[in-house]
Amino acid sequence: MLGLAGCSGDYSMLAPSGPAARDIAWIWWGMLGFFTLVFVVVVGLWLAAFRRREPRERSEGEVRRLSRRWIIGGGLLLPGVTILILLVFGVPVGQRMLTLPLPGGEEPQVIEVIGHQWWWEVRYPDTGDGEVITANQLVMPAGEPVDFHVSAGDVIHAFWIPRLGGKIDMLPGRVNRIRLQADEPGVFGGQCVEFCGTQHAHMKLYVEAMPPADFDTWLSARQAPTDVGEGEQHQAAREAFNEHCARCHRVAGVSQATVGPDLSDIGSRATLGAGVLAMEDGAIARWLVAHQRLKPGNLMPVHDHLDAETLEGLGSWLETLTP
Amino acid sequence: MSDTQASGHHARDKAARLHRELEVVWRNPRGLRALTVVNHSTLGLRFMATGLVFFLVGGVLAMLIRTQLALPSQAFMTPEIYHQVTTMHGTVMMFLFAIPVLEGLAIYLIPKMLGTRDLLCPRLTAFGYWCYLFGGIILLSSMALEMAPDSGWFMYTPLSSGEYSPGKGSDFWLLGITFVEISALSAGVELTVSILRTRADGMALHRMPLFAWYILVMALMIVVGFPPLIFGSVLLELERAVGMPFFIVEQGGDPILWQHLFWLFGHPEVYIIFLPAAGIVSTLLPVFARRPIVGYGWAVAAVIITGFISFGLWVHHMFTVGIPHLAQAFFSAASMLVAVPTAIQVFVWLATLWLGRPRMSLPMLWILGFLVIFVCGGLTGVMLALVPFNWQVHDTHFVVAHMHYVLVGGMFFPLMAGFVYWLPLVSGRMPSERLGRWAFWLTFLGFNLTFLIMHWTGLLGMPRRVYTYDSAMGWDIYNLISSVGGFMMSAGIAMVLLDLALHWRFGRPAPPNPWEADTLEWGLSMPPAPYNFASLPTIKSRHPLWDNPALGDEMARGEHALADASHGRREILGGEVLTGRVRERIHLPTNSWWPLFAALVLAVVCISLLVRLYPLALGAFLVAVAMLLRWSWENGGHPAAAPLGDDEATSPPLHSRTRGGPARFTMCVSLMADGAFFLSLLFGWFYLWSVSPQWRLPAESPLDPILLIGAGIAFALGVLWLERRLRRLYAGDETRLSPAFYMIAALGGLHVLLLVALLWQADLAPTDNAHDAILLVSLAYLLGHGLLASLLMAMQGRRAALGYVSARLPMEPGVVALFWRYQLGIYAILAVSLGVLPRVIGGGA
Repeated sequence: MLGLAGCSGDYSMLAPSGPAARDIAWIWWGMLGFFTLVFVVVVGLWLAAFRRREPRERSEGEVRRLSRRWIIGGGLLLPGVTILILLVFGVPVGQRMLTLPLPGGEEPQVIEVIGHQWWWEVRYPDTGDGEVITANQLVMPAGEPVDFHVSAGDVIHAFWIPRLGGKIDMLPGRVNRIRLQADEPGVFGGQCVEFCGTQHAHMKLYVEAMPPADFDTWLSARQAPTDVGEGEQHQAAREAFNEHCARCHRVAGVSQATVGPDLSDIGSRATLGAGVLAMEDGAIARWLVAHQRLKPGNLMPVHDHLDAETLEGLGSWLETLTP
Repeated sequence: MSDTQASGHHARDKAARLHRELEVVWRNPRGLRALTVVNHSTLGLRFMATGLVFFLVGGVLAMLIRTQLALPSQAFMTPEIYHQVTTMHGTVMMFLFAIPVLEGLAIYLIPKMLGTRDLLCPRLTAFGYWCYLFGGIILLSSMALEMAPDSGWFMYTPLSSGEYSPGKGSDFWLLGITFVEISALSAGVELTVSILRTRADGMALHRMPLFAWYILVMALMIVVGFPPLIFGSVLLELERAVGMPFFIVEQGGDPILWQHLFWLFGHPEVYIIFLPAAGIVSTLLPVFARRPIVGYGWAVAAVIITGFISFGLWVHHMFTVGIPHLAQAFFSAASMLVAVPTAIQVFVWLATLWLGRPRMSLPMLWILGFLVIFVCGGLTGVMLALVPFNWQVHDTHFVVAHMHYVLVGGMFFPLMAGFVYWLPLVSGRMPSERLGRWAFWLTFLGFNLTFLIMHWTGLLGMPRRVYTYDSAMGWDIYNLISSVGGFMMSAGIAMVLLDLALHWRFGRPAPPNPWEADTLEWGLSMPPAPYNFASLPTIKSRHPLWDNPALGDEMARGEHALADASHGRREILGGEVLTGRVRERIHLPTNSWWPLFAALVLAVVCISLLVRLYPLALGAFLVAVAMLLRWSWENGGHPAAAPLGDDEATSPPLHSRTRGGPARFTMCVSLMADGAFFLSLLFGWFYLWSVSPQWRLPAESPLDPILLIGAGIAFALGVLWLERRLRRLYAGDETRLSPAFYMIAALGGLHVLLLVALLWQADLAPTDNAHDAILLVSLAYLLGHGLLASLLMAMQGRRAALGYVSARLPMEPGVVALFWRYQLGIYAILAVSLGVLPRVIGGGA
């Protein structure tokens, strides 16, 4: 299988790119340091007990006093103090990811993400200029908080961009909210992290943070009517699409179905099949031929009955769909 | 001189005769009739041997997983097969290995440690074993048929529901696991009652070996912790089989209800596994530190507190579900708090070593391994309890690593320590020190190689349950190291098995009390006789064998209590809960086919539900109930159990001549389990009502108030009458007992009829919406209990007529009365919750 050549962002929560992820990474390193110390001391004392020789018989009272010192010190004070410190430092960090009102009274950008077996539907709610729907890619403004409203279309999924912050489950029939922020423009990996069936492994999300101005451009380009390639050249492909694809896929201005991923701007995306293929020339045609080998068990039917020419035509037409 | 010789000779003869008599009464039959055995030693070993087989199956599955993940983008298994393998690995290890093996160990050891001959309900032990075996086989057969469950071992809906898992996999899981859980519940009930009521004379609670405390808490946790999962499984199977939408949002259900029910069981389960293992540590460690444990009281308190706290932690498996943040903070703090009792235990052990004269030996080596791994797992556990950190690492390989540190470190390593330690008791031979050390180091290093690095893989973002990963992710080398470590650990476990196999043949014969231990089981012959003790000791301290090393010989010579089997009954002593002072002689039932037959018929129920032959399932279920009732018929006051003699010893009396001490206890603990099931039902009702997004309460309650109240009054009259009649029976009045019991049973029958009418008149649409579905389940629960109560009462009428219940045999009706009181109680609560509250609070949208 091909690499994720188009997706340069990695998935390490120890390479944070946002305030929430950074705080959590710090908490991790702090806990690791302190707990390593606790571990070394406890195991060291245990080993030392075998090395030393009890010097003399101790009286009953002495034993009781000594053991009480051990048990109260190690069993009550040590965990008690540790827990207190952890809660004092840890609880405020969690607050960052809650969708509380912003201090200045501004409304943060809202992006809706809906999990499906095994792809992501991403919606930018109507801001007066029309709703934007895309799939398997998430473009967000950098340097400002973004609220994600997540849910699921079938089973439970979970929404996670490790370098930006924590995860939240995507549930059918409910909307969960989480606030994340990217410090700088960049590309990050996202991944479904609640087991959701056969292709759970290949449910990746391409996340790109842009400077706010670029983001606005990106969004308004998709709000404008799309050029769906009216020319002669793609006439056959458009007909084939209407016949074989339009019952599941939406292309703005061509079809309205929402069973499978929206394809309105597929030509401009970085990956195909939720992170299975990098988008290159001919990638869509390759996907159309081999998608059950590339992502076994995915819910798109095999199109063996279509000849190679039609599939290629479809592929090259879809590649032109870019605002 | 010759006089003393003659008297010594005489004593030896007497002892030999005693052992012969006991042997006749207690021995296990051979051949086909070996299937009828109810002896706790035999069954404990069967539990453990079966568990070992399942462990090997689970281990092979683990190796398949590590092979698939060793390199990126491998196609060793298809995703479908891989998900079956991971689901079955978790399921087999948790349900078919960890819990049953520890139950088996407890079943084998507890009577020996408590100074008695068997558990209180030997046939229940056998029944539990067969349910475990058949349930396990049914579950495993799904793999052979390539239709194993594949939704992950916690079976989250809707992925495991009919819509998204249309195959039989989920059904195998739900039915097989429920079947296996019958076995856990029976072990839980009888271990609880046996520990509370059958300890040796004078073994007050504060003189009980620590191991028994741990097992007592584990058993109670099983009794309370398993019913929520059984309830959840029943609901999910009903949804899958007939379409009752408990977990479907559009029809008023909620998939999160499953998660609550699962983790309400699932978190206590972690401690159900950990506590007995910690009990092994607390038993072995003082022996090798050569001093009594320091802080016995601290340890007991820590164990009990762990038991309680563990029921308040389940939500920490669900921090990312989106529950209210105040609740998250509460469960986060509670999850951290459980570190306190655990730390107390670690420091009790440490102080014992520090103040003792510890010696290193093979069991101690495994305990050292336990300490290193478990402390690590405990510390990452505290990290995970911190909500923001949990949001990052939840469902990644970090959690996979943590869980294996806790479970393998907290359960498997102590188990191995106990295995080496008690092996001489079972076989009379010592294991090999050298092979054992090799086995330990391979296992220990292999384990850490696999799972220490896996924390890092998780931090680098690798989610759990992915069947493959791409090389570009940068996880290759860590996964390869984990896989190498996994195979190393397998080699270590193979060495353990080799040691086990070789020691039967080449092991050095074990000297008496080879580890110089303090607990009673080491005063037995090795291997122990089926009756354990020829005579039952009186206990004056926590360390009977340290106080009196000759105690074993004295007991074998018949110098202590109950050194008589000429009556041909299997007898043990029953004592007071707190002090252990003797109250009665308990006669135990003997070998029987009924447990096997009943379990076989239940297996038929299970299989016919799987293949959806519902009439057959119903028929087989009725046969199973009939068998269980038939099995109970020969107990209690029945002459086959203990015929009434003219001049029976009354101090202590036989238990069937009393008002029912141990039997009442057993009924109470069983009702605790039933009550936990009932509370889960109540939780389900109120949860859906208050939380489910699309729940609709009908404007008008479908339950007719007149019928609801009428059914309650009929049953309440029955309970009142029964209580009055019982008081008269205890006062010695046995006139017209049988007709009175029949009349009371008839009131129960009226109660059932009114309930049926209520159900009929309600005209529910249980496949249409969750409200009606849960109403139907509640009413069916009441109906089943009402039927059973009436049936048991009618049987009491018959038994009174036959003379099995009388002024001299007053035991049974008091036990049945407990069941009647329970039914009245739950009826009242359900009538208010289902019938009154919706009217008060109001229905509508």
